Amino acid sequence: MKPQPKLLTALSILSVLLFLAALAMVFLYAPLEAVMNYVQKIFYFHIANAWIGMLGFIAAAIAGIAYLVKKDMKWDIVEVAAVEISLVFFFITIVTGSIWAKPSWGTWWTWDARLTTAAILEMIYIAYLMLRQGIEDPERRARFGAVYTLIGGLSVPVTFLSIRLWQTIHPAIIGAQSAEAQGSFGMTPAMLFTMFFSLISFSIIFVTLLWHRIRIGQLTNQVEELKHKISE
Amino acid sequence: MIPYEVSIKYMLAGYIVILLVLAAYLASLFVRWKKLKRELKTLQEIEKK
Amino acid sequence: MDNRSPAVEQKASSTVHRPSSGFAQAVFAITWKDLTAELRSRELLSAMLVFALLVIIIFNFAIELEPKLRPVITPGVLWVTFVFAGTLGLNRSMAIEKDRGCLDGLLLAPVDRSAIFFGKMLGNLVFMFSVEIIVLPIYSVLYNINLFNPGLWMVILLGSIGYAAVGTLLSSMAVQTRTRDMLLPILLFPVIVPVLLAAVKASSGYLQGLEMTEITPWLNLLVAYDIIFLAVAYMVFEYVVEE
Repeated sequence: MKPQPKLLTALSILSVLLFLAALAMVFLYAPLEAVMNYVQKIFYFHIANAWIGMLGFIAAAIAGIAYLVKKDMKWDIVEVAAVEISLVFFFITIVTGSIWAKPSWGTWWTWDARLTTAAILEMIYIAYLMLRQGIEDPERRARFGAVYTLIGGLSVPVTFLSIRLWQTIHPAIIGAQSAEAQGSFGMTPAMLFTMFFSLISFSIIFVTLLWHRIRIGQLTNQVEELKHKISE
Repeated sequence: MIPYEVSIKYMLAGYIVILLVLAAYLASLFVRWKKLKRELKTLQEIEKK
Repeated sequence: MDNRSPAVEQKASSTVHRPSSGFAQAVFAITWKDLTAELRSRELLSAMLVFALLVIIIFNFAIELEPKLRPVITPGVLWVTFVFAGTLGLNRSMAIEKDRGCLDGLLLAPVDRSAIFFGKMLGNLVFMFSVEIIVLPIYSVLYNINLFNPGLWMVILLGSIGYAAVGTLLSSMAVQTRTRDMLLPILLFPVIVPVLLAAVKASSGYLQGLEMTEITPWLNLLVAYDIIFLAVAYMVFEYVVEE
């Protein structure tokens, strides 16, 4: 197993710094919102986490298709890493969204399109991990994983659109202040800057985490191969 | 406007969750890495024999 | 063709159809094999049927509603029943292939992989339809509600197709894992949410006699889902059965 590349070490340090900087911006720089007071500050990291979740989702989908086409194990490693990271970050997204919702809308949960689709996506991820757990052969595990990533991945936007067709009270965060859109608020330039800084920071954090998780995947495969070789 | 005490409570709850889950995930990555490294070393020793 | 040894399977298939006359022949041969096997043993259908009826009866106690609210919950109850009974059928249908080695026999035959997919899917569909046809009249008697509604039947048809397409693909995977039967619902249910939602909404629309403008979006969604996932399942099935 190769030692940690210098670039990764640098990225890790950068990620920590950016995270702390983003935190500082949220608490010290961003102004208070008129209606929701301090609660609104959750939004910055809530959106940033959702953004990473999305990146992970897209990365997993691409990796899945790449594996089916190329049959190269390294795409399988990327796929698992992306799914795991997306799972963790969408979890944070859902919980912070819920904590934000309670004082804002008076309820921990609503069955609106975004929240419900996120919950279903988490279930798909868990199903994916359970599927992989039940398969011994690494090649079959990779193949089935890729197939389920494809099916699951395709179903998510369809699910989202179906539920949206059904109902939604999720806020529109940017744009004109509108009394009808329940729970919406306009953002001042300072807020917008904080938001974009958070997004960029978390994007870097995503790449760093993905890289680390991929290395764990590579090490796992190495160990498994060795175990196999020895037991023969 | 949501009262100060309430809004601070929820905001802190939100950020504590973020920090805890992140920390837990990073810890799990670290623990898994160490465990795998140990396993690899053991297996490599066995292989030599 | 019956579910005996792979050798017989292979011989039977090469005498029943030639590869060049193809695809449709292979599909129907496979479906026919499943149907005739089931006709003889009747294990699967009776299990699915009894299960479905029990679910319907249980719902009477689980959800106590005054009679006038019954039309509102009927689509939901029906679809939950079909989804769960369908799981039984999907699991069993694939397990039989695996356990008796028929899948290997099928794979050896000069047949396009996707023909196997469509053959199995059609078999699963027929089983689902059989259960649905029997459940509908019984439900309407037990709950005193008129289900003689061609719109409703069309929705049940479309929904079952989408369900069976994804279900056949996923059950082919599930049956090859350690956890087998238990895994199928876990894999399947999150992915068929659009089917369930659209089917319940459309069924409800027809039962309540709503305007077509309210029902059409849901029908479109069902058709779109069916087309997309039939196409994807068909393309991807070969990756699931290669050895």
